[in-house]
Amino acid sequence: MYRRKTRITMLDVVVTTLLILLTAFIVYRLTMKLNYKWNWSIIPRYLYFFDESEGRWRANVLMQGFYTTLRLTIWSTLLAMFFGFIAGILRTTPRLFNRLVGRSYVELIRNVPPLVLIFIFYFFVSAQIMPLLGVEDFIRSRSPGTQKILGYLFSAPELFTAFLSGMFTIAVFQGAYITEIVRAGIQSLSRGQWEASYALGLSWRQQMTYIILPQALKRVLPPLANEFINTLKYSAIVSVISIQELTFQAMQVMAATYVTIEVWLTVTAIYLVMCMLLSLGVQWLEHRLARSEA
Amino acid sequence: MPFKAKGDYIIVVEHINKTFANGVKAVVDFTTKIHRGEVVVIIGPSGSGKSTFLRCLNGLEDIDNGSIIIDDIPLNDNEKNRLEIRKEVGMVFQQFNLFPHMIVLDNVNLAQRRVRNKSKAEANAMSMDLLKKVGITDKASNYPSQLSGGQQQRVAIARALAMMPKVMLFDEATSALDPEMIGEVLDVMKDLAREGMTMICVTHEMGFAREVSDRVIFMEDGKIVEVGTAEHFFTAPTEDRTKLFLSQIL
Repeated sequence: MYRRKTRITMLDVVVTTLLILLTAFIVYRLTMKLNYKWNWSIIPRYLYFFDESEGRWRANVLMQGFYTTLRLTIWSTLLAMFFGFIAGILRTTPRLFNRLVGRSYVELIRNVPPLVLIFIFYFFVSAQIMPLLGVEDFIRSRSPGTQKILGYLFSAPELFTAFLSGMFTIAVFQGAYITEIVRAGIQSLSRGQWEASYALGLSWRQQMTYIILPQALKRVLPPLANEFINTLKYSAIVSVISIQELTFQAMQVMAATYVTIEVWLTVTAIYLVMCMLLSLGVQWLEHRLARSEA
Repeated sequence: MPFKAKGDYIIVVEHINKTFANGVKAVVDFTTKIHRGEVVVIIGPSGSGKSTFLRCLNGLEDIDNGSIIIDDIPLNDNEKNRLEIRKEVGMVFQQFNLFPHMIVLDNVNLAQRRVRNKSKAEANAMSMDLLKKVGITDKASNYPSQLSGGQQQRVAIARALAMMPKVMLFDEATSALDPEMIGEVLDVMKDLAREGMTMICVTHEMGFAREVSDRVIFMEDGKIVEVGTAEHFFTAPTEDRTKLFLSQIL
């Protein structure tokens, strides 16, 4: 393999020094000259607080927002994968109708700004379809035990429909991007794989299950991981429809306390850590899969 | 050459035509009948439609018109018939086309398990037998990428044989191999021919053709130019085109 030694040149030293000086200057301006009263002490209180009545520590709004973001991301990722794989496979079938369905889905979603999609979904799905289906009544009619479990898994009853529409929105547009990734993965395999499995008498479904998808999945893991991270980041956008995830809660805290920069820096750190953990996890998975093929 | 009893016709091809989307006529009014247990070698210059003809026989290419009947089953739009034919016709490709994400044993097991619905133990037993036959038992749990080209092609033959096919198609099975590995694959093919397998081989290996083939078909521009025994071809070809081709490759 072609490889060059890592070297440090004079230019690197100069550029690095300049960057350090620049950072130092900015930090100096921020701390000495900024007309802003730093108040970090308020932040921990909004993460966790001591509940006097119950005598234990409980998550406060920011952490609650974090948990909602987590739930929202997990469920919409799963749902987006489902949409993406179905549509991606449809796009590679020989039948024209299937391809048309897959293609329409992708083009429709990809060519509309996510923010606009969210409003469409919110005013249409959340405000019209959900009441029609009676989702909220259904949840409220469950036993307190079931409600509690649903609360852990999804959201509290009073916020359930909002949560569902947020989850659905993210899943639908992330699904469109995953569709293209899955399609590319399937089409990247050589025709010989299809032909060999065809000649052995495997049905289309068996070819997909045993030959094509396992190989395609391995190839598309890096771009797919990118979409997982995107899903997490895009979850912030549903704050505009009052879903109480991390970004929404941060805005609430900011409005109540006016400690703007501290709140946003905290939120940034939380997102950064979550996304980095996610990409580390995918890196590990890639290594594992690579090992299985020698 | 050992005497081989000829059975009835297992493959009947009548007046088939195949035109590609770009207008190239790959197979033109092709008619032939192949006996059970016969070994047919198809030769001809590149682009003469040899591979396309072979791929028509298991439905990898759809024919424009004409008819193909394999073991009394017509190869037509009926999916059930097509599946039956795919099960009965094994194919070996120039590029091996092993499944890279499966170990050798699983490559050979796959169709037995999923198409023939055999138990894992049954499939394993048969696969090991076949791998022994092609001489790769020690690599059973390796991935294809860890094998040489010759070994990969022998696994591909074992994989096709695992379906217990009635016909085997070889599409330039040795063309992608390094010279020193051609022999090991040809040996497996020769053994198979001697056991009475019906084989149709597109190949440039004239030695193989001379040693085991019952019939040689010379094709050009999608048509049969000359048919005869290997002996006929190498001693007294009648067509000028055949003479020219043979003089170029021998």
